[in-house]
Amino acid sequence: MRQDRIGFLFLTPALIAVVIFYLLPVVMTAVFAFTNMSTATGIRGGGYLVTEQTLRDLSGHGLTGATLSQLADAGYEVDTEGLAALAATFGDRLAGHIEAELGGESFATSRELERALRDLRAPELRITRDRKQAASLFQRSVLNIRHDTADALRDELTGAGIPGGDHDMIIEAAYTGWSWTMRNFELLLSLPSTARYALNTLIYVALTLVLFNVGLGLLLAIATFYLPKPSAAVFRAIWFMPRILPPVLYVLMWKWLMWDNGFLASALAPFGVERINWMLHSEYHAWVAIILINGVVGASFGMIIFASAIKAIPQTLLMAAEVDGATRWQQVRYVILPQMRWPILFVTAYQTLSLLASFEYILLSTGGGPGSATEVWAMAAFRTALNNYGGNLQYGMGATFALVLVIIGTVLSLLYLRFFNFQALLAKPRIER
Amino acid sequence: MQKYRGHHVRHWPLIAVLVALSAPLVVMYVYQIIDTVTTTPAGSIIPDGLTLHHWRFLTGPLSDGGPTIWSLAGNTLVFASCTALVVTSVSLTAAYALSRLNMPGRGFFLGGLIVLHAFPTVTLIVAVFLILQYMGLYDTLTGVILVKVAFELPFGIWIMKGFYDSVPWEIEMAGVTDGADRFTVWRLLVLPQVQPGLAALLIFSFLSGWSEFILPLVLAPANAPQVLATYLAGIIADDRFADFSLFKAVSIFYALPVLVIYLIFQKKLMNIYGGGTKG
Amino acid sequence: MRLVLEGFTKRFGDTTVIDALDLTVADGEMIALLGPSGCGKSTTLFAIAGLHQVDEGRILFGNRDVAHVSPQERNVGIVFQNYALYPHMTVAQNIAFPLRVRGERVVEMDRKVREIAGLVQIGELLERKPAQLSGGQQQRVALARALVRKPDVLLLDEPLANLDAKLRMEMRSEIRRVQLETGITAILVTHDQVEAMSICDRIALMKDGGIVQIAEPAEMYINPMDRYVASFLGNPPIAFLDAMADEELRLAGGASLGAAGRLQGLDRLVLGVRPEHYGPGKGVPLEGVVVMLETHGREDLFEVELAGCGRLRAILPAGSGTRIGTNVNWGIDMDHIFVFSPDGRRL
Repeated sequence: MRQDRIGFLFLTPALIAVVIFYLLPVVMTAVFAFTNMSTATGIRGGGYLVTEQTLRDLSGHGLTGATLSQLADAGYEVDTEGLAALAATFGDRLAGHIEAELGGESFATSRELERALRDLRAPELRITRDRKQAASLFQRSVLNIRHDTADALRDELTGAGIPGGDHDMIIEAAYTGWSWTMRNFELLLSLPSTARYALNTLIYVALTLVLFNVGLGLLLAIATFYLPKPSAAVFRAIWFMPRILPPVLYVLMWKWLMWDNGFLASALAPFGVERINWMLHSEYHAWVAIILINGVVGASFGMIIFASAIKAIPQTLLMAAEVDGATRWQQVRYVILPQMRWPILFVTAYQTLSLLASFEYILLSTGGGPGSATEVWAMAAFRTALNNYGGNLQYGMGATFALVLVIIGTVLSLLYLRFFNFQALLAKPRIER
Repeated sequence: MQKYRGHHVRHWPLIAVLVALSAPLVVMYVYQIIDTVTTTPAGSIIPDGLTLHHWRFLTGPLSDGGPTIWSLAGNTLVFASCTALVVTSVSLTAAYALSRLNMPGRGFFLGGLIVLHAFPTVTLIVAVFLILQYMGLYDTLTGVILVKVAFELPFGIWIMKGFYDSVPWEIEMAGVTDGADRFTVWRLLVLPQVQPGLAALLIFSFLSGWSEFILPLVLAPANAPQVLATYLAGIIADDRFADFSLFKAVSIFYALPVLVIYLIFQKKLMNIYGGGTKG
Repeated sequence: MRLVLEGFTKRFGDTTVIDALDLTVADGEMIALLGPSGCGKSTTLFAIAGLHQVDEGRILFGNRDVAHVSPQERNVGIVFQNYALYPHMTVAQNIAFPLRVRGERVVEMDRKVREIAGLVQIGELLERKPAQLSGGQQQRVALARALVRKPDVLLLDEPLANLDAKLRMEMRSEIRRVQLETGITAILVTHDQVEAMSICDRIALMKDGGIVQIAEPAEMYINPMDRYVASFLGNPPIAFLDAMADEELRLAGGASLGAAGRLQGLDRLVLGVRPEHYGPGKGVPLEGVVVMLETHGREDLFEVELAGCGRLRAILPAGSGTRIGTNVNWGIDMDHIFVFSPDGRRL
């Protein structure tokens, strides 16, 4: 088999996965962002249904009282359906009788139908109350009948004698599914919480990245580099652990440390420090908590990258520096740090992207609280669309939030391409055929 | 050559700094373990007795009417193993194609791989949630596995590509002139050379699946296919019983495979946890 | 089998790395593609193997044009610098691999493997893994694997470069012995002139993607086509002096080397003088001073600064007593010098 055929064959499963779970979602995020899709509208287009609520909405929009009452009460029709219901209540005999006399006839009001029924002089309908009940069985209303298409509803409205001019307004109000809208973007721009989320995200990414992923990561890598092997291994293990522990467990440990009857509170109590929830006591506490929790995981990532970069520095370079009389600090400053430029850039670029989108540790620790003090953008998207306590999940609005991140993510990961020596990656396969 | 470490410099100031920085973590690790087998009076940090009470969940349901730990562990095992197997096998072929095969569009695919490698997948979760609904795979383990696999793939392919790149071209050139087609060359000559990579990726993606929290939470929230991560997060978030010692025992149970696997395969995994930055 | 390259052209993207190369290798001949790195010799070898695509031209194995035939169908054996043994297979499995992918019967495979292992003298190593072998042994295995399928052409890509000096000499003669015994057509790619000269029937000296000269080693040494060829062959290397010719042939400093003859009137020349053609008691004496001395054991190598016109090398039997700083009056053997135009053409 030719190698390009094998190549495509070998790539196919991965390509399918990429199309379904990357390309399609990117496109769909953009599509959903322009809809009002939510739990209420469902996700598969809806039907047309006029409800009491629709009537209330419509009366607020200037529909005349006459039309409204016509919608609620669209007259009386002696049809098989009504007859069946009547037979169940009053017996087959009466049903047959009514069918013979009035079958197929229509009446505008209950009163007219009742009069016609009285004229039948049937023994079952001697009392007015029974006639009213019987008449009600033939009442036809547009209300609470689901239509799959707008035309079906329009036919129904025409049948009920509702003026054609009102049809469009009613049909629009009766639509239960999602529809296209720009409202999400208007909301996004007008809501004050948007700015809050954006600012939170910025603070969260910047502080975690600078203090921990790069700062502490570099410190740990350099410090463990200079330590004797056994102690270096111990410290690396301590700081590596957060990266491999399941997030749920890792955050549990922090909760135990910071909870109101957790370790910190208990340990400080003998010193007269008030027992507080160190994680959620104030906005300030919450911020420290989420940056610490994310930062320690980030620091271990930085440590690994930087440690291997330091290891790649030729040992003779450091020996030369030492022979030249450089102190340890001067070695770090003039030999090690200059070699860290690319690793630092890499960690910054790569971790900016993952921090931007990550909310796992925040969700598990502060849950965005107190209030929405530590709610970041990605978490707002998640909450709006997938996990809000109100129960009405607003997929469209959530997608709008997500779309912003998707766009930023795409742009940044395209930029990230530049961090690689792409030409070298592209080196032609040495077996050409 | 003896590794250079600045031999005549005193280490203790450095060690002191590191000890101070590491202290909170060490406290958490230590108590994470001793709390599961001891009792501690309320408001104290000193344990006053030994107990196995916190491990009672091993023999009974975790909470009234809830699932047993074993069924949760079973689900998690299925989830993690399937993820690992599929990620590894798909990466194994795709990475070879990208690393070695001369085909049209290779540069485009390589660029795409790097972009996807960096792309924050969580941002797609809203759309993925809806797509799974459309596909009828919402709230199924299969659906979560598919998504997890897809999200792990760029990373897996990237790692495997690194391993393929380090196989000498001459091995393949020799194989081809020996008369073997590229598929045979891959199967008989190249695959055996990347076995360490295969093992490392298998282990890594298993651990990643085992620890995954967000995807099962969002894509399979019902009780039936629940995994340890979502269940544990659920009972911890439940304010009705805040029994940290129980949570800790459960999470030790949950983390045990991770720790054991890590201890055994530490060397193999180190490079991968760095993000596979060989390129 | 006779191998012919006709107008072979190879491009990488927009750059033409080999431009219309012609080469004929006779049946049973061993030819060296010699040249510095980047001259296109490996590219040519890979094209013959079928690993690289041929952009233009024909490659004939006997009468069959294989230019567009896949490597699997070409029946060439190749030996690489790093041996490229399959590390997870034993020596026997390595050698048997070409037969295995052809679907040969086990008994037959076993017989052929033993036969070829005997030829390259590794019969006792068959059950070992490559990692347990020395470099020389690995190279023998690679040779056996290349030969076992009775290839039309044996290709050797810098096969000795990874070996230490002593093993290199040994393997050099081994490769030649095996090639002669099997009578196979072989192409050796190398940048080492000694290797090329010592074991090949002919040398094709390459430069910038083309062949400069093809000749038997001795012929190429004695009669280089241009300055490049003269400078590439010979160890210690040839030295060059600027010169001019009026009635007499003169060095840049003015010293005369005798009648100019057919060169008369050329005012810019370059003379090439090999070390063995300069020394005491030879040809035209010139004044100079010894500026460098390398002791090689049996011989001493001198570098002599001639008054104002450059340096020459001389190689003399050890024990002459001449030291750095000694003034000498050695001569050039004018019968063996090469005369080149300033652009390197042989005159």
